Amino acid sequence: MIHYLRVMAARFRGLLGDQRADRELDDEIKMHLCMLTERYVRQGMTEAEAARAARRQFGNLTLLQEASREMRGIRSIEILFQDLRYGVRMLRKEPGFTLVAVMTLALGIGANSAIFSVVNAVLLRPLPYTSPEQLVQVWEHYRPQNNPRKSVAPANYLDWRAQNRVFERIAAIDPFPSFNLTGPEGPDRIQAARTSADFFPLFGATPTLGRYFLSDEEQPGRNRVAVVSHGLWQRRYGSDPQLIGQSVSLNGQSFIVVGVLPPDFRFPRGEFDLAIPLALGGWEAAARGTHPLHVYARLKAGVTLRQAQEEMGAIARRLEEQYPKTNTGKAITIVPLHEQLTDQIRLALKVLLGAVGFVLLIACANVANLLLARSLARQKEFSVRLALGAGRGRLIRQLLTESVLLAGMGGIAGLLLALWSRQILVTLLTGANLIPRWIEIDIDGRVLVFTLMTTLVTGLVFGLAPALTAIKADLNEALKEGGRKATSGKRDQRLRHALVVSEIALAMVLLVGAGLMIQSFWRLLKVDPGFQTENVLTVDLSLPTARYPEGHQVSHFYDRLLRRIGSLPGVRSAGGAAYLPFSGTRNSWSFDIEGQPPLPPDRAETEWRPITAGYFRTMGIPLSRGRDFTEQDIDGSPEVVIINEAMARLYWPGEDPLGRRLKLHDERKKVWHTVVGVVKDVRHLGPTIEPKPEMYFPYSQLIYPWYPMTVVIRTQSDPLQLAPAVRQAVLELDKEQPVYNIRTMEELLAKSVAPNRLHLVLFGTLAAVALILAASGLYGVMNYWVTRRTQEIGIRMALGAQRSEVLRLVVGEGMGVTLVGVGLGLVGAYAVTRLMTSLLFGVSVTDPATFAAIALLLAAVALGACYLPARRATKVDPLLALRHE
Amino acid sequence: MSNGENTNSEKSEVLQGTLDLMVLKVLDALGPLHGYGIARRIEQVSKQVLQLNEGTVYTSLLRLQQQGWIASNWGTSENNRKAKFYSITKSGRKQLARETENWERIAGVIGRLLRLEGQE
Repeated sequence: MIHYLRVMAARFRGLLGDQRADRELDDEIKMHLCMLTERYVRQGMTEAEAARAARRQFGNLTLLQEASREMRGIRSIEILFQDLRYGVRMLRKEPGFTLVAVMTLALGIGANSAIFSVVNAVLLRPLPYTSPEQLVQVWEHYRPQNNPRKSVAPANYLDWRAQNRVFERIAAIDPFPSFNLTGPEGPDRIQAARTSADFFPLFGATPTLGRYFLSDEEQPGRNRVAVVSHGLWQRRYGSDPQLIGQSVSLNGQSFIVVGVLPPDFRFPRGEFDLAIPLALGGWEAAARGTHPLHVYARLKAGVTLRQAQEEMGAIARRLEEQYPKTNTGKAITIVPLHEQLTDQIRLALKVLLGAVGFVLLIACANVANLLLARSLARQKEFSVRLALGAGRGRLIRQLLTESVLLAGMGGIAGLLLALWSRQILVTLLTGANLIPRWIEIDIDGRVLVFTLMTTLVTGLVFGLAPALTAIKADLNEALKEGGRKATSGKRDQRLRHALVVSEIALAMVLLVGAGLMIQSFWRLLKVDPGFQTENVLTVDLSLPTARYPEGHQVSHFYDRLLRRIGSLPGVRSAGGAAYLPFSGTRNSWSFDIEGQPPLPPDRAETEWRPITAGYFRTMGIPLSRGRDFTEQDIDGSPEVVIINEAMARLYWPGEDPLGRRLKLHDERKKVWHTVVGVVKDVRHLGPTIEPKPEMYFPYSQLIYPWYPMTVVIRTQSDPLQLAPAVRQAVLELDKEQPVYNIRTMEELLAKSVAPNRLHLVLFGTLAAVALILAASGLYGVMNYWVTRRTQEIGIRMALGAQRSEVLRLVVGEGMGVTLVGVGLGLVGAYAVTRLMTSLLFGVSVTDPATFAAIALLLAAVALGACYLPARRATKVDPLLALRHE
Repeated sequence: MSNGENTNSEKSEVLQGTLDLMVLKVLDALGPLHGYGIARRIEQVSKQVLQLNEGTVYTSLLRLQQQGWIASNWGTSENNRKAKFYSITKSGRKQLARETENWERIAGVIGRLLRLEGQE
């Protein structure tokens, strides 16, 4: 070690006294040569002979000088600058080559930087919480339905909290309630949540003002306190510090503001303006059949995920024994929060990272081919330099410097490309709802370092083959030969062909991937969701309990509203539902069937939908048996239910469900509902998810019909044009009632297929880039091939070859290369597309039609790329070509 | 390829790494010397057996100096020229002893190996 330091110190000194050291060495050499010459003169040589002999005896002067400078250290930097200068000169001499190479590299490197910036933001950067690695989300694992991530029943959450010893805190949020906020500032529609007292401390957030909830504020009756978001505090209250202690009116009830969230606080899922305590009391504290809660927890220091899993497993088993009716088959899943939030995009990102890697490899092969052609043209230059005493290592080094310089320019351009595409990526990603909205995708230090490393490695990779080829050149041969030889470079040609073959193979793999995504998206759009999406307007409403305390008041309001909307010009029909298909909302309840023993756990709960009369008609959901709800199905009349075909098949296989009765496990209203109709299935959760068994209840017969409601309106033409009239209709009934989320059903549909669209767009773009690069690579190689063979072609034509034969010769050569590439690509695609399985829908990863179509497409493009050089070959003038010799 | 162009191919090339050892030994045996003197001395001892590019002596000197095994200062040569004289240092002597022992051990092994006869 000390030794090493001394060498370094000597080098450092050398660095400073560089010129003096150079001079000293020169002096020594001069003296040495003088003395040698004198010696030879003494032996009887002439002065000139003696000097030559001395030189010979001394050896390679240049090499010695360079070696000594290199040993002294500074030399390497000097060489670098010298090579860079030389490299810049070479690149400027051939602007066309430089432009093509830099653009190719920019595409390759830019795509990598862009995708890496997403990977960096989503997968690598820690979540914005204190010690985020300890945070987990806890789910019910409902084994009978094979659903490992089911949200949590309130009573289960309370038991988990009371019994576990592995979590420092375990907090719950009920994201569902949305509120009308009123006050002197005017009415406001806000997103609110109920949170347990532990919720904000769990994430390590300190309030900007005031405090969070106290644990005794989780008692019903003491829960009239609220915490507001920083955004709402600024927006609505003008950042007034006096807000703490003041009362705000939520749905007509007053709550005292006790705290303001910090500006950078992010809810792990969803965005909320206001939180009130999750006061679980009464029926809710005992509810195990409904699952509104999302539960988050922080592992105690030193507790591993596995230990937590074990303890929670034991708790779940105890609850199973204690509450067999509701908890049989219910285990617990613990997922690290980071994984939970990025789950949906993890696989897609990995596949994309692979895809951009492929694109970069193709770009490298392309540029390597360009450089190879150029280095063959520069053969003479290298030979001369080798003859003049340049070391081979030194030449390789210079060529690599040129490559890295080229890569550097490509890297800078690529970074600009990544910056430019950032906004598009962000829009696509957040639009597809694949990542939390607050994740910021930007070009930070890590992305810069990644780009730098990619650039360096890229430069070395594509520069190495040409550099090695160049210096392997036979010195004597190259100097003797005046120009290029028609037969030379068999090995180079093999290398060039190998590069193109691999480009085509890689492009083939990407194209197959993209082809599968196109197929799957196309099938996705053809899926019948079970209802008609055209010309449907949807509007959200939520009636406040304070102004509508009784169920019948709510029903009355909606009855009148729907009638009013139904009579608007341009409206075909109107209806309402608490949970709309494709909206991402759903709920399920457990129930009993009359005359049957309690249902087995895998069928105990079923999707549950409160709707109004007119809903099926408006959505275009056909009735297959029985009758629709009517305006007579109200509170007080016989309780009814309509089920879908999936439910009929599951619960009454081979029987007639009409007239059967079922009862929800709702402690507040224990009544039997009679099945009066069966409707067709709807893909409620999205087009890719099979319909689930569903039961529909008349809104007005439920115990608390003040659920937020989505009104759906089928219109004759563009649905959005009716939005103002609908808003007006609401205000005429209640001038304080806001409407929100005015959307069309088609928007919801587009949103539900947005992830697939995102995959398609990204993958398709990359595959297109790959295709263009591979085609231009093939074109370049064939073009070069024709140039090298001009003489041969000329001779052939002089001897009577037809143009068509020449055409066939060139195209045949190119297509030979292409077919090998396509063949390898097919094998490669077959091997890797299985990684995409879960990104696809309705198409096999080895879909023969897609494979065949892509192979044909690639062959057609390759044919085009070969045809241009081939046509040039047929235009060769035999006389000129022969004179060339 | 470009080899086979030397006329005096019966001379051996200097083995990689042995030049440093030779230079050290020469300086140890003869005291301070300039580069030319070292080259002459090696030539003399090798009796034309070794093919030495004399320039490489300077690379070796530089290397040894960086390791701290030799030191240098300017003086005047026997024919009144300004010349840089090199001399071995204390750590250089230690290194020489180590290397000599090492060399002898390896040379011994190789010698024995080459004398090896087929055994029944």
